[in-house]
Amino acid sequence: MEPLIEEAELARQGAPTDAIAAPTGEIKKVDTRRKSPTQIALARLRKDKVAVICASIFVAFVLIAIFAPLLAKLEGQDPTTLHQDLTDRYGYPTITPNGEHWFGVEPRLGRDLFARWVYGARPSLIVAGSVTVITTIIGVVVGLVSGFMGGWIDRVLSWVIDFVLSLPYLLFAIAVPAALLAIFLGTTEGVAANEVATVRFYSLILVLSFFGWASLARLIRGEVLTLREREFIAAAKVLGVPTRKVLFKELLPNLVAPIVISVSLALPSYIVTEAGLTYLGVGLTEPTPSWGLTIAQAQNWYRADPLYLWIPVAGITILVLALSLLGDSIRDAFDPRTRR
Amino acid sequence: MLLYILKRVLSAISVVIVTLVASFALFFFAPTDPAGVICGPRCTPERIADIEQSLGLNQPKAEQVLLYMKGIVAGREFSSGGVTQHCAAPCLGYSYTLGQPVTKLIGAALPVTISIVIGGAVVYLLVGILAGTIAAQVRGTSADRFVVGTTLVVQAIPYFVFALMIALYATFLPASGYTSFFENPFLWASGLLAAWLTIGVTNAAAYTRYSRASMIEALGQDFVRTATSKGISRRRVVYRHGLRAGLTPVVTIFGIDLAFQLTGAIFTESIFGLPGIGLLALRAFNQYDLPVLMGGVLIGSVVLVVMNLVVDIAYTALDPRVRLG
Repeated sequence: MEPLIEEAELARQGAPTDAIAAPTGEIKKVDTRRKSPTQIALARLRKDKVAVICASIFVAFVLIAIFAPLLAKLEGQDPTTLHQDLTDRYGYPTITPNGEHWFGVEPRLGRDLFARWVYGARPSLIVAGSVTVITTIIGVVVGLVSGFMGGWIDRVLSWVIDFVLSLPYLLFAIAVPAALLAIFLGTTEGVAANEVATVRFYSLILVLSFFGWASLARLIRGEVLTLREREFIAAAKVLGVPTRKVLFKELLPNLVAPIVISVSLALPSYIVTEAGLTYLGVGLTEPTPSWGLTIAQAQNWYRADPLYLWIPVAGITILVLALSLLGDSIRDAFDPRTRR
Repeated sequence: MLLYILKRVLSAISVVIVTLVASFALFFFAPTDPAGVICGPRCTPERIADIEQSLGLNQPKAEQVLLYMKGIVAGREFSSGGVTQHCAAPCLGYSYTLGQPVTKLIGAALPVTISIVIGGAVVYLLVGILAGTIAAQVRGTSADRFVVGTTLVVQAIPYFVFALMIALYATFLPASGYTSFFENPFLWASGLLAAWLTIGVTNAAAYTRYSRASMIEALGQDFVRTATSKGISRRRVVYRHGLRAGLTPVVTIFGIDLAFQLTGAIFTESIFGLPGIGLLALRAFNQYDLPVLMGGVLIGSVVLVVMNLVVDIAYTALDPRVRLG
């Protein structure tokens, strides 16, 4: 709020004194450049220590995901090679974390845990990232069109939004992959694990996107309904600006705050959903290295091999914690109603 | 008012019907082989034909939809290997992997889910509203900041990770399991305690924030000042006058939230091994038990739609400011 007040103060007090002072030759240098609401919000965000720390953690995870092969090579391992010589006949690993296997090896199969951990950051971020992008685009477009057009288009789209929002989405998230697997592959028996994993990957993105866009669309529609009646939109219409341009050049810039807030809160929630569904066995499957999958397998070994469980748990918790707190900071920074 | 209710009911029915048709299309028009899956790997063609016959899979797809719809309204017969089973209305199909009508399975699972959700709700409403009200009164102090900071962190921890940690490490809690309330209320409560606490703690964070914000607004109103100026004790002003006004928005959120909790209890059920709707659907997914999967989705949708309807209507009845339209 502070920058805004400063500007208002300047406009009220600074400007007239400037005008009076000018003829005498003493020009006071006042920075009167206007800041857009987004710039104000970003400035607030930069001052927020929690936000900066959380953003750095997020960037670190993104870098881990991007350079996963490099990190694994640095260690000298890869996520799929079996080291069954390092486990005893009951499946317990015989080694502890060492220079060769930084986080130790998996019980039973003996795959390297560090390599699986760095590769595990990938599906989380890719799935959550693409779902966030898809749902944001669909949500914004549907919300804009529905709110601006009104009439029967609005009625139909609103019904669809209500419909999607009133479905039990977790139950569908379990049920749909079963059907999609059959639709994509034609059969459900004797399919290679690789193919199943690929189909599951896309069907997860599909299902999460299908259920994710509606709440944003409803939000945007509400905002557009109030913006639509404002003078600048009426002026644009009178000037004969084409509808498409009104929507994306006049309305969209005014919706930056709700969109940014929604994106920042959606990303961590999709990471949790991906890991959660994978944990339940209805998300990603082997051989994809995924934290949710590792947690599901490691829970059976939690006494004998706590590290196996705690590494992916720490990964997902830290990432989601950082992103959620960042999201909260972003919301505070972009929402003009919150005061600091 | 009556017209509004009628409109909402019609729209609710339309949602349920579309869900029914969509889920049916998804599962039965997909090139799946339900009979083969039901029958298992060592299967004779006669056995497949028998299953297809009893499930009505040998009939045209459109016919199957009608058969399914008819089953919901009037019930239908299933025969397998010469034994005929009657599935009374509302019949949602027959699970061959479990050898029981879907409605019976769901009927057994629903009380479990409802017990989990209601018990959890009691915990988080009590904790959340109390913490929120206290935080609102000491707004701006370090105690308030501590409460708000804690809620932020608790909310940000992935739910299934939190639940898993409780299930694995909080061994001092009584073992989880489901016993019917009518059989043994004590065992019922002790078996669900861990699940209730998990749901309670994680959701209390959200409700603390809702009720804190709502109470701050309520306590700033004129009637609170008037009540205070009349010499009523602070405690009475906050808990009688303020809380009453502050709770209305929280109750609305709770109504909508509760419906989602009913279908979202799946993580709790799976981690604590409680045989509710979510676990039923999960088992059905793993065994490719389509009728059960569809039944679960359908019942979930109906519960959600009905709850939303009740909340909407209750809200318009309670708060005359809500515009009908």
